[in-house]
Amino acid sequence: MEELLKLIVLGLCMGGIYALVAVGYVVVYKSTRVFNFAQAAMITVGAYALYQALIIWSLPIWAAVLFTLAVGVALGLLVERLLMRPLIGQPILAPIVVTLGLMLMVRGVVLMIFGGQVYGYGEHFLPLGAWHVGFLTLPMIQIYAFIISMVAIFALIQFYNRTRMGLGMRVTHEDHVVAQNLGINVKRVFQYSWVIACVLGVISGMLLGNIQGCCVELDVTGIMAIAAILFGGLESIGGAIVGGLTLGVLQMVTIGYLAPIMPGEPIMMVPFAFMLLILIFKPYGLFGLVRIERL
Amino acid sequence: MAIHRPCGTFDRTYYEAKAIFRTRLQWGMITALILALYGIAFVMNDYLLGLSIVIFSFIVAMLGLQIITGYAGQISIGHAAFMGVGMYVLACVEAHLGWSWWVGMPLAGIGAGLVSMFFGSPSARLKELYLAFASLAAHFIIVYVISNWETMTGGVDGIWLSRPEPLLGIDFMVEHNYYLLVLTLCIAMIYLAKNLARTKLGRAFVAVRDNDIAAEVMGINIFNTKLLAFGIGGFFAGIGGAMYAGYNEYVNVEFFPLNDSIWFLGFLVVGGFGSIFGAICAAVLWKLLDEMATLMTPVFTEILPGLAFYVTASFSLIMYTLVIVIFLVLEPRGINHRWNIIKASYRLHPFAY
Amino acid sequence: MTTSIRNITKHREQRYSYGLTLLREEMEKKYPMPKEEDVGKKVVLKGEGINLAFGGLQALMDINFELKEGELLAIIGPNGAGKTCLLNVVSGFYHAQEGEIYYRDRKITHMSSHGIAELGLCRTFQNIALYTGLTVIENLMAARHPHIKYNFLSGMLYFPWASDEEVRQRAICEDIVDFLEMEAVRNQVVGSMAYGLRKRTELGRALALEPRILLLDEPMAGMNRDEKEDMARFILDIYEFLKIPVVLIEHDMGVVMDVADRIMVFDFGRQIAEGTPDEIIVNPKVISAYLGAEYAGV
Repeated sequence: MEELLKLIVLGLCMGGIYALVAVGYVVVYKSTRVFNFAQAAMITVGAYALYQALIIWSLPIWAAVLFTLAVGVALGLLVERLLMRPLIGQPILAPIVVTLGLMLMVRGVVLMIFGGQVYGYGEHFLPLGAWHVGFLTLPMIQIYAFIISMVAIFALIQFYNRTRMGLGMRVTHEDHVVAQNLGINVKRVFQYSWVIACVLGVISGMLLGNIQGCCVELDVTGIMAIAAILFGGLESIGGAIVGGLTLGVLQMVTIGYLAPIMPGEPIMMVPFAFMLLILIFKPYGLFGLVRIERL
Repeated sequence: MAIHRPCGTFDRTYYEAKAIFRTRLQWGMITALILALYGIAFVMNDYLLGLSIVIFSFIVAMLGLQIITGYAGQISIGHAAFMGVGMYVLACVEAHLGWSWWVGMPLAGIGAGLVSMFFGSPSARLKELYLAFASLAAHFIIVYVISNWETMTGGVDGIWLSRPEPLLGIDFMVEHNYYLLVLTLCIAMIYLAKNLARTKLGRAFVAVRDNDIAAEVMGINIFNTKLLAFGIGGFFAGIGGAMYAGYNEYVNVEFFPLNDSIWFLGFLVVGGFGSIFGAICAAVLWKLLDEMATLMTPVFTEILPGLAFYVTASFSLIMYTLVIVIFLVLEPRGINHRWNIIKASYRLHPFAY
Repeated sequence: MTTSIRNITKHREQRYSYGLTLLREEMEKKYPMPKEEDVGKKVVLKGEGINLAFGGLQALMDINFELKEGELLAIIGPNGAGKTCLLNVVSGFYHAQEGEIYYRDRKITHMSSHGIAELGLCRTFQNIALYTGLTVIENLMAARHPHIKYNFLSGMLYFPWASDEEVRQRAICEDIVDFLEMEAVRNQVVGSMAYGLRKRTELGRALALEPRILLLDEPMAGMNRDEKEDMARFILDIYEFLKIPVVLIEHDMGVVMDVADRIMVFDFGRQIAEGTPDEIIVNPKVISAYLGAEYAGV
């Protein structure tokens, strides 16, 4: 029972980061209806940018974080302007291929600049050590990561519901052309969505880089987060949060109980098996919109 | 795009109208090309022969993806895994059952086809994007199963194969003999794929891609058609994998990482959807760029000392993405479309259309 | 016909091509033409008690209809009355909550759409649903799919009989193209064609499927008078030459009055009237549905 509770809590912490990544996917998909596979790449970018600023340049934490966020914003603007703008109106496969390629290109750039070793932040970013609450040993990094993720998501939800730009983003999801006719600056909406998604990705990169160390394989977490969005529904931010937390808990619990039995690394398998199960039984997720085909 | 015949040739019968090689000149050119490909085997060195064998294997695999995604419109980001299944079926058949490559190759195709059909069965209910996720999950699951099924596949160590047994006295350990075998197989598979594209099933594929609900109401069983698309595409991938495995005489999970699945799809977009010529161009372009990346290594060692080791690996990643993005922005319909425009403008010169 | 397949085009040129001869020969090979005494009496399509609802919205309420051999039934009614829904239920695209549909005394209510199309219930679509990447002739050949008799393996190997079969099907489709007067655009990709030509291709595609009952959903929408007359002529030619019953959903009252044998009127998912054109035009319920209640009393 203690074991289970510990696994659940750890899973929730991990799930917080999955939720953060998942929300990034949802934000871009909600406004532009492009599925941004490159969100996974933003994690890598965030982790390495923070590493660069914090360790190599030895900036103070606040400066390093600002630098990383600025990198995220710049990347979002660049990707939107150079890659996505020319692809508007093309069939759905084109943005998929481009974002997938972007994910690999970021891997390549990171590999070229930093080489293939795993780097750690040490004590510089989030404090190490653990809290002991009753029988639970909670690593501080995970707790901080969870709190930061939740704060970021909360900020995003406020943005969506309270500001005019958020309303514009919700409208653009339905139909770009109609939104443009109604006076919404669709280009601006796209820029905002991409920038927000990249910033979220970069934040989760900073957190993940701390937990897992900076390696080129960080983007696999991003791919695993896809299972979270599928669970919650592709257009729902709330669903992404629920999905992320669920995925984290599911992963931890399965590893705790199944890892001794199954060979290899089931930690990688769980999200994909989960993804396949969702796709078979409930492809639109819990809160997603089901589209009815008309003849 | 309408098929333009050379000036002065008109089609009087339906046989002529549906012919691919219509005039004697066209027949002559294709025959000359095939003879040249056969003849060049005896003058190339081993390095070029090896490169050509790899190119032919990937042409066959790319044809498979063209059938699944280009013709039938089912997005599949797991194609490298199906090629890998073909490789491993061949390897397991040779290692555990002791059968020869000749028996193992069609089995590899059939095995990959069945696996592909299994992972394509969600296509009954899922549309484009969701099917992409399913195929992505399929890739990871296949890689996981192959890496961890130690008794059958040898885990991460891989399996050693041998070249095909001598047939009619031809020894396939000699590179150019294996090249000729692979070339013959590749031409046969291109023939099969082209015929598939212009017959009943090929039209059913395109109908399902364009408007699958209307296709259902118009008498095409779309679930069967989609499954067949995955099955035949997987078959091609398996055969391509068998050819590649026979060349390397070794199979390993590292031969089909997730990157390869993405590049399959990416380069298919560059080549052009819905055409055999596009798939061939895509595979050729991909593998040539691959070789270029390897060839540039000494150049990089001079320019950026110390980084060269990582530069090769990352160079291919960056370059492929740039190529794909440039093509998508400038010519979204691919090399095939551009080639058709060039041919049409040549035929219609000096008119514009 | 004992002519060899390779002479098929030669024989076509030697005969005076009266519209859809090849198509009719194909259909006659499979089943005989309807007998004289059945026309107007034998029921070929029957729907009983069809109820269709989407969530809370009731699209069709208790529809009963019969289609007899060799008659042209028109379905009219204001927009949103459920006419296309009825056609979708018959084609098997929607599944009615209650009700049965019989095709020549055979229950087809829960059959799959492609099975129903193979039986011979072919339809056109209100918002054109063509295969946009294919040319006109390829669209027709794609529609021939259930009637092409080689499997995909022999197709891939392209043995001589697959090649001959292809040419035979091409001849049938070219026949349809000639009938619809679309020879000039037969190799043009459908996605780039004008609206009127696309509607005609839609009709051709339904024909290529060898219909035994033709269901047309607003084939004349958005056309001017000339084009409507052309389309009406095509429909009448099909109706007379292939001797198949036609169900026509149409808004243009002039066309409907001239062409239909019997008219069914829908309003808000219910049938409000049924009868010959002369009966319908004076029916007070119909007048109140179209023009409003105050004209019904007049």
